[in-house]
This record gives sequence, C-alpha cells and structure tokens, in this order.
Amino acid sequence: MTHDAKPPAAPAAPLEPGQYGQFLKEHGISSERLVDSCGVETIVVAAADLPPALKLLRNSSEVKLDLLITVTGVDNNDTYDSVYHLWSYEHINELVIKVMTKKTDVADGRLPEVPSISNFWSAANWHERETYDLVGIRYTGHPYLRRILNPWDWDGHPLRRDYKQPVDGLNDKNPHSMR
Amino acid sequence: MSEGNLIQAKSPSVPEELRDTVTLTSIDHAIDMLGEVLSPVISPVANLARSNSVWPLTFGTSCCAIEMMCVGMSAFDISRFGSEVFRATPRQADMILTAGTITRKMAPALITLYEQMPEPKYVIAMGACTVTGGMFNDSYSVVQGVDRIIPVDVYLPGCPPRPEAILDALLKLQQKIRTENYHERKKRTYNQRAVRYVDYDTGKLVDDLVAEAADLANGVLAPKAEAAGAKIAVPVAKPEAAKVEAKPATTAGAAKPEAAAKPEAAKAEAAKPADAPKPEADKPETKES
Repeated sequence: MTHDAKPPAAPAAPLEPGQYGQFLKEHGISSERLVDSCGVETIVVAAADLPPALKLLRNSSEVKLDLLITVTGVDNNDTYDSVYHLWSYEHINELVIKVMTKKTDVADGRLPEVPSISNFWSAANWHERETYDLVGIRYTGHPYLRRILNPWDWDGHPLRRDYKQPVDGLNDKNPHSMR
Repeated sequence: MSEGNLIQAKSPSVPEELRDTVTLTSIDHAIDMLGEVLSPVISPVANLARSNSVWPLTFGTSCCAIEMMCVGMSAFDISRFGSEVFRATPRQADMILTAGTITRKMAPALITLYEQMPEPKYVIAMGACTVTGGMFNDSYSVVQGVDRIIPVDVYLPGCPPRPEAILDALLKLQQKIRTENYHERKKRTYNQRAVRYVDYDTGKLVDDLVAEAADLANGVLAPKAEAAGAKIAVPVAKPEAAKVEAKPATTAGAAKPEAAAKPEAAKAEAAKPADAPKPEADKPETKES
C-alpha cells in the first residue's frame, strides 16, 4: 500500500452483518456493521443494548467472547465513541463494539452517558474511569466513577478536541518561576 | 529528632512546621548567632565537608533513574566523589536528582519531598524533561521544567544524560557548594511548609478546608472585624473538628455569599509559585457528578 493511496471509501449499501452481528440479530439485538478495523469485525450498538449484547456474547457457548481487552473512548468530529475490544480464548477471535453518542444529543454541561459494564468485567472498572477522565464519557452505574490519571481537581477532559488547557505557572511560555 | 528539637527550641527562626525537618541545627544556630562575622570562617570548612558528602535522595520517576542507578554502580562509581549513599528518606538527603518526568500529579509530592529535606539542600534537574519539559513540551500533564516548582542548582540536559554527565553535574555542584557563603544562603531561603495534608474526599488541601470552615464559622458567629483574629485561633492540627463545625454553618446558610468569596481571597494570599497549578474552586466536574 503506497502512501498516496486513499483510505477505502464507505460503501453506499450497508454492510452485511458479520458473524457476531448475525448472532446478535438472531437474539433480537440490532447492530450496525462498520468497516473492519485491521480485519476485526466492528459493530455499533445502541447504548441501551450494550449490557444485554455483552452478556450474550460472553455467556453463549458458540461465541464465548470472554475476555475484555480494553475499554477506550474516542472523540470523533460529531460523536463520542466508547469502544470495547472483546477476545475469545476458545475460538481465537476478536470483536470491536462501539457505542456512539452524537454530540448534538449531549446537552450543554452534560456528559455523554453509556451504561457501565464493570459488573460483568471488573477489569472495566479502571478502564471506564480512565475513559471518563480523559475523554469525558459518563458510565452510568459505575461504582466509583472518579478521575484515575489526572489529579482529582482537574478541569475538563484532556483528550477532547475542544480541550484548552488554562495557562498557569507550570506551562506558560514566559514563566516568572524560580529560575 | 529529640536532640534537634532541644537546640531548635531556642531558635526562633525555625518555623513550627519545620521543627521536625531541620536537623542540622547546631551549625545553623551558631551561624545565626554569629552571622556575618564568623560565616566567612566557618563556611569554607563546613562547605568542604558538605561538598564531599552530598547524599542524594532515591528519587526516580522515569528513564533517567536507570542512569542514576548506573552511576551508583561500580562501572562509574559515584562514591569516588562521596555521593554513593542514596538515602531512602528526604530527612537524610542533601541533594535531589530529579531523575525523570515530573507530571502535574507528581508535583505536589516532589515539593513535599524537597521541603522535607534539611537545609542546606541542592537540586540537580536531570534530563530534558525536568530542565524544560523536553519532548513533553505543551503536554497537558507534564510540568514544563522542574524549576517552576523547586529551585534548581545545576541543570543537566540529555535524554537521558550519560552517567559521566551526572558525575560532571555533581562536580559542578561541589564547586558551587565550596564557593557559597552559608549565611547568605540562609537569608535566601523562603518560608516552607514541610507537609501538605490533602483531604481524601475532595482532593483539596486541608489548610484550605480549615480556612473555609473558619470563614464559615466566623460569618455566622462573629462580626466581620474579628475574622482575621479568630482565623488564627483555629487549631490547625484538628481539621476534623473544623470540618464538623462547618456543617451546621452551611445549613444555616446565613453567610453563604460572604463565605464563598473568602476562600478565594485566602487562596490568592497563600499563592506562591508552588501553588500556582491549583485550579479554581468551582469546577464543572463536581456539577456533572
């Protein structure tokens, strides 16, 4: 692949559901398939469908996606994404689930809300705290949603596109410091 | 620390919070008393001893710490210059090599460590991160140069510096120690607070909370003129009691606007370079949660 090659354009027709999308569809959970990321099936589910979908994917013997690799957050241009990577030890397979919240749906002074999955995977506890800290996604039902990396009195969420750090004594360009 | 306290009890220049911190008091006291007359005589002798026994603090926050360990091993052997005794506590250290990136979350800890070291104390800013911020220039989480929070004696650039460079910085620091006048140095030291207690629930300094509680209590109980006097009388050692007092005051709600204005003033009053990164009290985060 050369450098000037353009990324593949999004196809006009919606993609056929893949293995996991089909599985969820059979169990009554609708999902939308995105372009595969690095050969891994990527689906979008609604926020309300996330806990039942993950419960199904983890517990059913034919899928058995039993390892939560990571929970991350992305600030896209018009959406906040909460991204889950699942892994199956039994079938050596991977799945990426995204929950997208449109920025227009988020009221001023509020954070996008996504149900917490830390009662399914306790590993998600710290991951969700980190995502809340850096991207600013509120995980409803999280037992202890508090900043984990930044100091507790931090203002804003640093990995957002519109984040502007206030200039203070530790980062100004012409410091009146102890030099 | 008891013998140190015995001598310090007579010395009015040591603030109450540092009574446990300052241990090298006999020379301190003598130089205080005899001051400018004897300092030119005492300083060269004391400096010679000090410069050949600069004990570093074991402090490493990232990759520079590996070089710092390396320079302590036999290949480079910093003990040739009297600095091999890496102390695990700031009370016993003379010098701090800030080996590694200092994040904003680490900055209060570094300031506390620095203030817990007994005078005379020296700082070598080791590595690009602590000299200027280095490759974390414009990062939201990294202090852009450790000299913004503590005074630095020797700057040691490099990413990370070679062990020879650390030895060179140490020799430069020894030269500096040999040429300094201890009396002059003592005059330049600023008022330090050795320990800052931070409230676990709010992340605020306990001092601020105590001042806030005192303001609330004064707003309800006492007229405005007595506020300054009563504020000093609040026992700093018992933040719990002060917090409990604050609760009925908030429910009363009589002096709320006045009390809300006062902590800001107190904060601005207490502001020094070390406290600069403290953000505003009203933050959107608490509103959301």
